[in-house]
Amino acid sequence: MHLDPFALHRPTSVDETVRLAGSLAGRFDYLAGGTDLLPNYKMHLNLRPNLIALEDVGELRGHGAGRFGAMERLAELDDDPAIRAEYPVLADAVGEVATPLVRASGTVGGNLLVETRCFFFNQSYFWRESLGFCLKADGDRCHVVPQKEKCYATFSGDLAPALMALDAEVEVAGPAGRSRRPLEALYDAAGDGIRRVHLAPGELLVAVHVPAASRGLHGRYKKLRVRPSYDFPELGVAVAGRWDGDRVASLRLAVGGVEPHPRRFDALTEPLVGSALSDDRLRALADEVMRQLRPVHNTFLLPDYRKRMIGVYVRRAVDEARRGSAS
Amino acid sequence: MSEAGLLRMRLNGHPVVAPCEPARILLDLLRDDLHLTGTKRGCDLGTCGCCTVLVDGRPTLSCLTLARLADGHDVTTIEGISPPQGLSPVQRAFVESGATQCGFCTPGFIVTATALLRDHPHPSRAEIERAIAGNLCRCTGYTKIVEAIATAAKDGA
Repeated sequence: MHLDPFALHRPTSVDETVRLAGSLAGRFDYLAGGTDLLPNYKMHLNLRPNLIALEDVGELRGHGAGRFGAMERLAELDDDPAIRAEYPVLADAVGEVATPLVRASGTVGGNLLVETRCFFFNQSYFWRESLGFCLKADGDRCHVVPQKEKCYATFSGDLAPALMALDAEVEVAGPAGRSRRPLEALYDAAGDGIRRVHLAPGELLVAVHVPAASRGLHGRYKKLRVRPSYDFPELGVAVAGRWDGDRVASLRLAVGGVEPHPRRFDALTEPLVGSALSDDRLRALADEVMRQLRPVHNTFLLPDYRKRMIGVYVRRAVDEARRGSAS
Repeated sequence: MSEAGLLRMRLNGHPVVAPCEPARILLDLLRDDLHLTGTKRGCDLGTCGCCTVLVDGRPTLSCLTLARLADGHDVTTIEGISPPQGLSPVQRAFVESGATQCGFCTPGFIVTATALLRDHPHPSRAEIERAIAGNLCRCTGYTKIVEAIATAAKDGA
């Protein structure tokens, strides 16, 4: 499959990238690792006339001391034993992203901003044309929930739930300078599969910062998918916490792979801090997370199954994190 | 480099200059322009690993890499892994272990395995299986491929 022509830009600094992005006024995509963008371009999904390759922007690389550059390759994290020791939930999630070959090129920022996915979107032009195009590319209707207003494509990154469980912030550069915001604020909870992130035109994700208080939290990321060696998540549950004996000292939970954006469940986990997490309370937590999330029929596995697995995976993830804490 | 400029890279140890449009994919450049057809086009979407090459020693899916981004870099294909005479230790192990049937996926496996053994000369079976998780074979069932890589490791590839 060949790519349609585009102009390729290769800035070498964050400032140059932001200026360039501003001048191209939305008529561009950032190219990070390319492992999701280029397959989408090959399938003629929302082509733009310009690509800004971030490969040469040195500031976006590297990781250490709680900072993860947006262009840091996932393989660099996968190969670093310190990640497993300090942030087990993140190590789990990184190791579950696609395959080692994809992780060799795929990046932190690319995974956080990966395009939402849907059975009716991630198809060839010929396939989509034969059915009639959808809201997310070239068309005006949704085939999943038939209507013309809202796209139900699913957020399919693995790192976001894990980094939310670690209370991470993102550093963003834009025409007005640098700013930081909680990772969950990067995603548009009121949006949909198309309007999915809060990034103004010309803004650039520079890095992710994990606070020192999250270092050493016990955690697990549990991922549901069809082929264990490759697929995007049909569900991803991340848990990070600290236990003092049986007592919960801190607990955070985030879920991706179900709705158009990943979600953090502080309102359900904070009341659990300070007391022991009995099996009944854990089951009640899992049931309530399951109740609040609404998968639709837009991926390989049926939504009823995915919904039931939310409860199962929340229980398993919390239980395994707790056991990790005891060992 | 200008918009329709020339790409300069080291390819299998030799300097190469080639005309290259921005939208040219590295796999297409290697196979169609430079006639190095050992690198295979399988899924063309990053799933199968048949197109794996080394860029600065890093296993890379050439079907998902813009050729322009290889400008100034060192690219090694399966042709560069084979010595001028004979076979590399990993190739020889594949032959002797019967790890090849139709052979279409073999170049990708050899490239991935070569990088693995360079970085981890004594991998466990689990490490081998994990390393080749992005390379698909539809014939062998993987057992003999894993055995071949383990044999190459034992022989000091």
